[in-house]
Amino acid sequence: MDKSRPGPGGPPPLSVTAAIRTEGLSKDYGFGRGLFDLDLEVEVGEVFGFLGPNGAGKSTTMRLLLDLIAPTAGSATMLGLDTRRRSLEIRRRVGFLPDDFALYPKLSGADALDYLAELRGGVDPKVRDSLSERLEAQLDRPVRELSTGNRQKIGLIQAFMHEPELLILDEPIAGLDPLVQQSFHALLAEVSSQGRTVFLSSHTLSEVERVTHRVAVLREGRLAVVDSLENLRSVAVQRLEIEFAESTPAEDFRALPGVREVEVNATHMTVAFEGSADALIKAAARHEVRAIRSRDDDLEELFLRFYRDGESV
Amino acid sequence: MSIPTLALELRLRWRMTAIAAGALFSFLLMLGALFPAIGGTFGQLKVGEGVSNLLGGADYGSLNGYLKAEAVSILAPLICGGIAVAFAAGSTAGEEEDGILSLVLAHPLQRSAAVLGKAAGLALAVLALGWVNWVGLVAAVALAGGGIGAGDLAAQSLHLTFFALVLGSLGLALGAATGQRALALGGAAGFGILAFLINGFAPLVGAIEWLKYISPFYYYSGHDPLSNGVDFGDLAVMGVSALALVAIAVAGLRRRDLRG
Repeated sequence: MDKSRPGPGGPPPLSVTAAIRTEGLSKDYGFGRGLFDLDLEVEVGEVFGFLGPNGAGKSTTMRLLLDLIAPTAGSATMLGLDTRRRSLEIRRRVGFLPDDFALYPKLSGADALDYLAELRGGVDPKVRDSLSERLEAQLDRPVRELSTGNRQKIGLIQAFMHEPELLILDEPIAGLDPLVQQSFHALLAEVSSQGRTVFLSSHTLSEVERVTHRVAVLREGRLAVVDSLENLRSVAVQRLEIEFAESTPAEDFRALPGVREVEVNATHMTVAFEGSADALIKAAARHEVRAIRSRDDDLEELFLRFYRDGESV
Repeated sequence: MSIPTLALELRLRWRMTAIAAGALFSFLLMLGALFPAIGGTFGQLKVGEGVSNLLGGADYGSLNGYLKAEAVSILAPLICGGIAVAFAAGSTAGEEEDGILSLVLAHPLQRSAAVLGKAAGLALAVLALGWVNWVGLVAAVALAGGGIGAGDLAAQSLHLTFFALVLGSLGLALGAATGQRALALGGAAGFGILAFLINGFAPLVGAIEWLKYISPFYYYSGHDPLSNGVDFGDLAVMGVSALALVAIAVAGLRRRDLRG
């Protein structure tokens, strides 16, 4: 699996096993809005998370891939097929859940699914029934009477019910309660274990953290980073909280290698650092230490930094 | 053409069409029932030529003139054209604005097949309205004491069907080309009203008389199908116009980005 990140040398070499591949894919809406020069590769069998704040270009990317909108530059392939020229064939093999999923309000969920299945020439009713059961979907009521979460369940069923090779899911857990989220995550794991590919977007890290192999972060229409979560964690800033017996000067720590930030509140010190903690621990050991605690929750902060200023790691 | 899309269109919009058909039928029955009591009371109305044109001659003295003034000239095209426009705008731009069309077209469905399925649904709905109009007119004439043949009534209904098809196709083209429901509804309905006024008043001014040829009302009632039967030339103009507008709808949806 390609773990490389985009850098000054351009995108990583493209493999032949890509479920999705984009090259310079762009959609310029003007005024700096849109998607710009996206080089991305999602491999077959991968669960790939696409992160970014609202308006970063996640939905635009997905709509470009499904040929719902046309790129202003660049190209893309899905399952080895050009997304512009072979769109119909691609859509036969792909399941899509759009953001803010909407359906015919007068139809029941079952009738709406019947129609969408007919557009695919029919689906296996056993698969559909199984999905409905697992997600506890209410299919007998008109769509207009359903809550956001229950509508979203129908959206997931229609995306999965023809057992597509590739799933494109835009904010898939929006509105789902935690139990159904668990079922959804189990579903994703099954899909992945069958060698099928999932490309899902989210604006929250916690959603993709549990299920994805790799993530890409978009910021203001541009790719900020693409990497595995493990690699990102390894370069994320860590924090050490140290409780000293006496007030200890911050200056002793600020000059240490890897230290980014030191905050002192009486005898309590919080140190943000990258890389090895060796020098930091040795420096702390020169004082009487009453307690020491490490925090490993800074991946979220790392992503927020990408969101805010596109900082590279 | 997508058969599932056609079937869904009919399913989603049959109620609206049925209500309109029921209203049209009831009104025609009422007109027929009232004619024996009021027929000949008014005679030929003394109104300006423009208003007379708008009322199909404003001749209340005969059943033919009475039906033209009360139903054929305004009410029937208003109901059938209005339903056709609402049907078309809802099925294209409406679905797009609601975010449904993006989902549907992410399925293996060609945009052209989707538009043609919707156009076929529109045609069937309009055809049903035209048939109800004919049945209503036959019943109205019977209640009024007879005097107009079923063939002439069918000719008028056929012209009405084609007229509504033109307005509906315009709504379809505007909706498919722009994705904006208000523009599709307002544009097609506005054109219908303008066409009605042009048909009534343009012939009064020599310099703009030619404008009547751009009004579908001219081809709908200009050669008086209720008296003279079917005018195949008029039907051809309306039919070709509708087909051209559907072609524009197909091209319009194929060439642009979907909204929502």
